[in-house]
Order: sequence, then C-alpha cells, then structure tokens
Amino acid sequence: MRLWRDLLPVAAFAALLWFLPDLLRAGAGRASVSYLSLVTNAVGLAVLALSWDVLARTGQLSLAHAAFYGTGAYVTTLVARHLDLPLWVGIPAGGAVAALLAVGLGVVTLRLRGIYFAIATLAFTEVLRAFFRQLPTSFAGGAAGMNVAPLFRPAFDPATMERWEIAFLRNEGYYLLYAGLLVLTIGISLWTRRSRLRQAFTAIRTNEEVAGVMGVRPARMKVLAFALSSVSVGMLGAIHAHRVGSVVPEGAFSVATTVFALVTPIFGGLYTTLGPILGAGLLAGIEETLKRNLADGYLIGYGLVLVLSILFMPRGIVGTVRGVARRRRAAAAAAARASEGGAR
Amino acid sequence: MDLSLIVQAVVSGVLSSGLYALVSVGLALAIGVIGIVNFAHGEFFMVGAFLTYTLFVAFGIDPVVAVLFVAPALFLLGAVLYRTTIQHVLEAPELNQMLLTFGIGIVLQNLALLIWGGDPVSIAGIAYRSVGFKILGVSVGLVQLVSFAVSLALVGGLYFALSRSRLGRAMRAVAQNRVGASLVGLEVNRVYLVAFALSALLAGIGGVMIAVIQSPTPTIGLAFTLKAFSIVVLAGLGNIRGILAASLVVALSESLVATLVPNGGTLSNAVFFAIIFLALIWRSRRTA
Repeated sequence: MRLWRDLLPVAAFAALLWFLPDLLRAGAGRASVSYLSLVTNAVGLAVLALSWDVLARTGQLSLAHAAFYGTGAYVTTLVARHLDLPLWVGIPAGGAVAALLAVGLGVVTLRLRGIYFAIATLAFTEVLRAFFRQLPTSFAGGAAGMNVAPLFRPAFDPATMERWEIAFLRNEGYYLLYAGLLVLTIGISLWTRRSRLRQAFTAIRTNEEVAGVMGVRPARMKVLAFALSSVSVGMLGAIHAHRVGSVVPEGAFSVATTVFALVTPIFGGLYTTLGPILGAGLLAGIEETLKRNLADGYLIGYGLVLVLSILFMPRGIVGTVRGVARRRRAAAAAAARASEGGAR
Repeated sequence: MDLSLIVQAVVSGVLSSGLYALVSVGLALAIGVIGIVNFAHGEFFMVGAFLTYTLFVAFGIDPVVAVLFVAPALFLLGAVLYRTTIQHVLEAPELNQMLLTFGIGIVLQNLALLIWGGDPVSIAGIAYRSVGFKILGVSVGLVQLVSFAVSLALVGGLYFALSRSRLGRAMRAVAQNRVGASLVGLEVNRVYLVAFALSALLAGIGGVMIAVIQSPTPTIGLAFTLKAFSIVVLAGLGNIRGILAASLVVALSESLVATLVPNGGTLSNAVFFAIIFLALIWRSRRTA
C-alpha cells in the first residue's frame, strides 16, 4: 500500500519526463531546441539538489558537491581519451569513482561537524581542482582542459528532417540521460525516506551521541549517505562534460556547482524529495532570465534566494505549505471539537 | 638553494602575516563574541579593496586617505547586515546560520562582479607603491612594511580595547555568558551589533591594504574567508591571542612554498588548502 503511494507519482513523473520532448516538439517547433535545453538544465539542477539533500539529511553541510561533479567529468574524459572503450562507459565509471572518493572523504571527515566539516569539504574541492590541473598536460590537459567527444551524433537526412532537428535530437539524447538520472536519484531519495534509514539519518542529525546510544551506527550511516549522495552527481558531471564538449579545472570544480546544489533544496524544502525538484524547476527559470541580463554576476539570484529563504522560509516551499496545511487541519479539528462541545 | 632567496621568502612571509592577522582577528571576534561563523567575512575584505579602488579612480582619493571613508562604510555595512539578517538567526540551527552567511557572501561577491567586472583592478600611478629598500640584500616594500605595522597596531589595539575598555569588557562578558550578561544589564544585542560591525571594519581596512599591494578581483573574498578561518582554527576557535602566531605560521608556509617549490606560485593556494584539510582532520582525530 505504502509502496504504491510512492510508485504512482514517480511513474507519472517519469512518464511526463519521457513524453516531454515530443510535446515540446509538437507544440513549439523550431523553438523547442532551446526549450529542451532549458528543461535539461532544470532536470540537471534537480539531480544536483536532490542528491545534496540526501547527505544533508544526516546533518552535514557539504561543500564538496563540485568535487564529485568535477571528478565525474574528468573520469569520463580520461576514459574516452586513453582507453579504447565505448564512450558511455565513462558515465558509470564517473559515478563509481565519485562514490569511492566520497566514501574516502566520508571516512576521514567522520568526526568533523558543522563548520569544520563545511570548511574541510570546501578545502577538499579546491585541492582536487589543483590536483587535476597539475596532472601532466599530455594526460589531463592541465589548466587549459580537454575536449570531450559528444555522446550523440544524429545523422542528417535532408529528405525527412529540417536542420534544427539535428540539434533537437542531440539535446534529446542528453535530456533523456539526465531524466533517467533524476529518476534514479528520486529512487535513492525515497529509499532513504521510506526505509529505516530515515529514522537513522534524522537521529544522527538531531543528536549523534543519542543516535549511537539508540543503536544507530552514525559512522556507517554517514559514509553511506556520502556514497548515495555522490554517485548521481558523478554521473551528472560526466554527462555534462559530453554535453558541453570540454572540461576545464575551473569549470568542473566551480564553487557555483556547490552553490546550486545547496540553495535549491533550501528554497524548495530541505529533507524532502519533492522540495529540491520543485526548487530546481523554479530556480532554473530564474537563472535563465538572470543569465540573459547579467553576464558575470547572475549567481546573485542564488545568493538572494538563499538569504531570503533562510530568513523568511527556513523550511522551504514544501515545508511551509505542509505547515500551513497542518495548521489548517488542526484548526478545523479544534473547531469541530468546540462545536460538538457546544451542542452537548 | 640560494640562502638569500630563503631569507627573502621569510621576510615577505612575516610581512604578509600582519594582514592575515588583521583579517582573521575580525573573524575571531564574530565567532568568539556572537558565535556566528561568518562565511561572508572575506567579502568584507573584498568590498574594502574595491571601495578603495573606486575612491581612487573616480575621485582621485589616495588610499591612505580612503581608509577614513572605507572603515566607517564597512562598519555601517556590518551593522546593517547584522540588524537585517544575522540578528534573526541567532537562535536558529547552526546549519541555517552558516547558509545565511554563505548566501550573504554570494550576494556581495556577485554584486561586486556586476559593478566592477571580473578582471583584476589595479591602483596604478601611486608613487609610494613601488618604493622599497634593500637591507642586507633583502628587499622590503614600503607598502608591505607600513601595512604590517598598521595591522599589528590595530590587532594590538583590539587586544587592549577588549581587556580595558568598557565595551571590550562587555563583549567578553557577552561571549562568556549571554544570559548572565543580560541579567547584569548589558544590552546583548547592541554588543553583538558592535562586534559584528567592528569585525567588518577590520576586514575592510585589510582590504584597503590589499588594494595597494595587489591587483584584486571580486572573487578574492572566498579564499580569504578560508585563510582567515584556518588561522582562527589554528589559534583555537574564539581565542584572539593565538591569532598572531597562527597568522605567522600560515603566511610563512605560503611564501616558502611559493619560493621553494617549482611552479609554487600557482600551487601555493592548493598547498594551503591541503594544509587546512589535513589540519582539520588531524585535529578531529586527536581530540576525539
């Protein structure tokens, strides 16, 4: 019963994601190319946000999301460049290496909390960026980075297609990969929300010592959360590298990635599955508008959303709406009780 | 390895430690008194630098005079930010406090990018900028020397003020016991406001110096937040006295790496972050 309540909305959402390109194409024609890439950005942001939220559920403020993202991007590029394997192999490889790295980071930072954890993860990202930049240029491109082959090369058939449809098909390929990744991440998120992991994560977040006394193993749980959180980010970074066609140290390990990953769930609603997805949809739209008007400082939108969310809506959109609904129900129940008492 | 090169690296490391101490002592003040870890602290430093630049370019005001404008401006900025934002999350979970200051940092940095663009700005054409001495084969820049002296004087002044002045004693009282301090009649919120504004002011004065010494970009703030934080951690969280020694360690290691390691100029930041990372982990293993 419980399972169906989750499966139905997820299946409906997956179906929507699946048919969306066709709908866009039918509805918007040539303009659908740019709509589709906007939607792809939103889906990518949702993956970033939701996976960050999974780790945040153990109470850790991680600033290392860019590290996993960049690692995925570099792994797939290096695989494509140095190994004679199909291109797609780099994507699960990126996810796997990112997860291994996350487990390593999780183990060494186990005892760090709060600000110390945040600073350590941020420093880790910077070190990793420098590491990839310092690798021999012939191997990993140095500061200038490397080019990456695209995953999709749709053939152009003048008889049946128009020019723009090439771009559409290419975008559609990446879009579907992103969408699949989002469904996977939703699965991970729901698993940690519906299984006993939920109580374990919440207990650790509330009070790690007490959680330990109650039989939760904080160390094991935190490392697990790290791995679950990083695997989809690593794959996302890998797909993104193919999508844009290049990888550079500054871009792959950009602080902006970490900012996206943490602002979105806070805006949408921390510790929920719906919140980060909802937040991603709204923020991707805001970002697109800002990017068109502001070249260098478009991140200011994210900063403002973060500050305003913390000040006025610390539980995010989902948390605030749920709180209002709960209060309404409570008020209605109280009113019903009062009228009963009056009748008697 | 040439010995004079090492001596040179040590001297320039010592000189830049003053600036680090000045910026870090502000962060330590915010942490120690208010208990807020301010991720936007380095942005105060950056704002100070760019205000100095603008005052110079637009009005031809010399940085030495610009301090008189920049310091009050940053005090005001800190006070306004405290009243409008920080004050409202004092009781919130630590995660929210960190995220709030992180958000403020993002806003300040991108605001600066919008105003000044992403390229480094330089205060060219000040005569004293290139003045230097050569003592026993070691060259010392006048600006570096003066900024070192001023930083030390300011940090020393802060120690003195904290231990002697009425406000300083109030700050220490509030830091030790918030409830007790308010019971004996201290206005806790006002003390917090002054402490936060003062911390922004100190970082801003550091910014004036960096505007003259280097050619900053609007993105220098985050690196300085991290550096200041690691100095504060090295000194012991909230311990203002250890800051000078910790700054010396950090500045020396940075300048030695930049000089002695080939390609060290671009690597010194990475080495620095590696040190922070390892120090945090080492510290957590030792104390647990």
